[in-house]
Amino acid sequence: MSGQEMEFASAGLGRRDFLHASGGLVIAFSLFGAADATLAETADAATRSLAPPPAGRLYAWLAVHPDNTATLFTGKVETGTGVATALAQIAAEELDFPLDRLDVVMGTTSETVDQGPSYGSRTIRYAGPQIRHAAAAGREALLGLAAAHFQVSANQLATGDGAISVTGKPDRTITYGRLVDGNRLNIEIGASGERFAMQVAPNVRTKDPSTYRIVGRPVRRKDIPGKMTGQFTYVQDVHVPGMLHGRVVRPYGVGATLVSVDETGLKDIPGFVRVVRRDNFLGVVAETEWGAIQAAAKLGSTLDPSGPDAGQAKWSDWEGLPEMERIWETVRKTAGRNSTVASQGSVETALSSAGRTLKATYQTPFQMHGSIGPSCAIADVQGDRATFWSGTQMPHQTRHDMAKLLGIPLEKTELRWFEASGGYGRNGLDHAVADAAVMSQAVGRPVRVQWMRWDEHGWEPKGPPIVQDLLGALDKNGRVIAWRHHMWVPTTGDTHLIAAELIGKPDVTGATGLGRPAVTYAYTFANADVAGHGEGRVGLLTAWLRSPAQFETTFAMESFIDELAAAAGQDALQFRLAHLEDPRAIGVLKAAAEKYGWESRPIGTGRPDGSGKAARGRGIAWVNRDDVRVATIADVTVDRSNGAIKVGRVVVAHDCGLVVNPDGLRNQVEGNVIQSLSRTLHEEVAFDRAHVTSRDWMGYPILHFTEIPDSIDVVLVNSGPEYPAYGAGEPATCPTAAVIGNAVFDAIGARLRQTPFRPERVKAAINT
Amino acid sequence: MPQNFTLNVNGAARTVDAEPGSPLLYLLRDNLGLHGPKFGCGLGECGACTVVMNGNAIRSCVTPVSAVGDARITTLEGLGSIDNPHPLQKAFIEEQAAQCGYCINGMVMSAKALLDRTPHPSRDDIKLALDGNLCRCGTHMRILRAIERAAQQGA
Repeated sequence: MSGQEMEFASAGLGRRDFLHASGGLVIAFSLFGAADATLAETADAATRSLAPPPAGRLYAWLAVHPDNTATLFTGKVETGTGVATALAQIAAEELDFPLDRLDVVMGTTSETVDQGPSYGSRTIRYAGPQIRHAAAAGREALLGLAAAHFQVSANQLATGDGAISVTGKPDRTITYGRLVDGNRLNIEIGASGERFAMQVAPNVRTKDPSTYRIVGRPVRRKDIPGKMTGQFTYVQDVHVPGMLHGRVVRPYGVGATLVSVDETGLKDIPGFVRVVRRDNFLGVVAETEWGAIQAAAKLGSTLDPSGPDAGQAKWSDWEGLPEMERIWETVRKTAGRNSTVASQGSVETALSSAGRTLKATYQTPFQMHGSIGPSCAIADVQGDRATFWSGTQMPHQTRHDMAKLLGIPLEKTELRWFEASGGYGRNGLDHAVADAAVMSQAVGRPVRVQWMRWDEHGWEPKGPPIVQDLLGALDKNGRVIAWRHHMWVPTTGDTHLIAAELIGKPDVTGATGLGRPAVTYAYTFANADVAGHGEGRVGLLTAWLRSPAQFETTFAMESFIDELAAAAGQDALQFRLAHLEDPRAIGVLKAAAEKYGWESRPIGTGRPDGSGKAARGRGIAWVNRDDVRVATIADVTVDRSNGAIKVGRVVVAHDCGLVVNPDGLRNQVEGNVIQSLSRTLHEEVAFDRAHVTSRDWMGYPILHFTEIPDSIDVVLVNSGPEYPAYGAGEPATCPTAAVIGNAVFDAIGARLRQTPFRPERVKAAINT
Repeated sequence: MPQNFTLNVNGAARTVDAEPGSPLLYLLRDNLGLHGPKFGCGLGECGACTVVMNGNAIRSCVTPVSAVGDARITTLEGLGSIDNPHPLQKAFIEEQAAQCGYCINGMVMSAKALLDRTPHPSRDDIKLALDGNLCRCGTHMRILRAIERAAQQGA
């Protein structure tokens, strides 16, 4: 259960009764702390349907309980961004129902509709309208029930705060709960299409946004009180009766094969149960976590294994990874598919008349999600039936994947979703489910797999290294007359499962995918050539990492614009505005500049005389990320003596259309800024020819408290009621590296073209 | 071999059967059902597992149970509950100082030890006290504000 459900339970509410009444599974839970996912009624557990509810039926989305509380069911999941509360706001708004009496059930595959994975800043954007329509249909259905109850026509009725009254007769009022009277809302509302493209209750009338009272209001997130008190149940906290604790023992080299396993001494470890070995998959299970950890350590799962035969599990000597220092050459040379983003005029012709031409190459490394809680999952595989407890960002997809992996029927597979540590794309969560599946299938008992820190750092799918070549030309008036931006991008969506590869069934599910030129070209250069070379897997497994590839492409695009502006001797803001027509882009740039108090001056002329040890500068950059516009400005101080960058004030102007929960949005924007600042200043996955060597927080440092900005001001920009809610989970990540790099140039005149901006790299840039 | 240890947790004596070398974290979580402290790294590097022991914020993931003795251990659950939150927890809720919230146990417990020692810390004092606590969602600004708010209210 989630924290919301616990709050629900603590208020004496009736979700359990509801499920019981509807013949559903009863999950027994005590109020605080305990997270026993006991099947209180096992009698029907073996026969009940595990299929998702039909999207065209109202009960798939909503339940109204006798005590006048309600539950919203959604296949979307919370990853820490606050969407549970925002989706509840959308539903409560259309339903005319009090937000604090509306619970949210997310992700569990037998209880929710597959609305597509929760990634790509797409939850509010795509699931929002689906839920809005379902809730509006719910309100309509309740009006129908009330019309029959009061024997009046529906247009004589008014809804408000979870009750329906006959207009002008306040004594004739009935709550939704009494109207529904414990029944399931088995009403056809209509639905077509699938996942992101699903249309729910397409003909229902929804509210005019100008009348919203709950959407657009800053509300407190439903999950936060439980998270502050230890009462919230993360997937890491779930306990299934009879479960064993599992740990994986990964190959020393990414592609190594398992040569032998020496089990000497394992049975002396208290609680040790057995080794699970299947082809190159190796794991241990024990009655206790500490027993599993000790056993895995003996086999070789440690922070710093010294070689392929350092533990009692011996691996082949595999050194097939590309060389880290030359990874961008490898990326450049890897075969792939070319695609065009923009092709206007002729760059070559324009170059012949250019006053000045600039060229630059930008390089960005493998980076990781770095979730604070390593991935965890529980699997209970019993013959051809399986149950999973997981925090995956794609519960319905993972259910399908697990059925394929285990070779069991989909209709006998269920995934029960619980929130995990923040995901930021696709970390190891889906892979931990597969590990648990393989181990539970082997031992015939529920197995909880908790990755160790080095498993997460070493094996979570990374964001890929990217290399980009830019070329720009200015005419004699300092206007850009030619622009070329070519990028080489490995896949950001490799969905192969590690466990499947290790058991020798790499293609049982998933696909490698191709990288794409994740850039929204938005300037108005007369001659432009923006193109990408998309590739498959290069070296390490890679997947979505917050604003996949667009953090990197924005770094290059917005840094190089700055290079041209500096070469033209112009102001960074004015130069951008002079080459833009997009009103929303101009809107956020001006809003950020106004909040910051931007005074126009040529880049690099703000510094006093350049002789001081500490130099101050300011930088600006913006992005158009899937219809969201974000502009960021930051102040930095650069210590010339050691190359250290300190970020002072940050200002962000953010236009994502309709805002559902303004405080939740600000929280997201602040988080995007700090996380992307960490990626800008610190983060690079290190690896040797065998494996990732950044295996803990010492090897992959992230931003610490003493390094955060002095302040982050967020300005929410709204360009008008015609813009629906776009997603805000990622866009504010995109401009940061360019902003900081541009500010460093403004401060010291050195251009940084490779992240992270570690002090030694800054010093090297000063000296060139 | 496992043996009995009697721990003083949140003001109560709790007996666990454990190997002497087992880190305190697993006993709190698995034996006593206290899920406030989290497994983050097992290396003492991130702070997710923080508990307060005799007034000090310590890393329960690298503290063997045999080293605990009769020390007073306070976990997040020992501060307060949803219905009756500690002023520090209340301040975090008021500032909405969480995203995924996985690190928050460590933030609250480190702040508890700080405020007990230094009731009116400067912003730099807070940053230093929390410098070993990692947050990946980037909720730092709100966490700082929450601790400042709690300090102002005499938490």
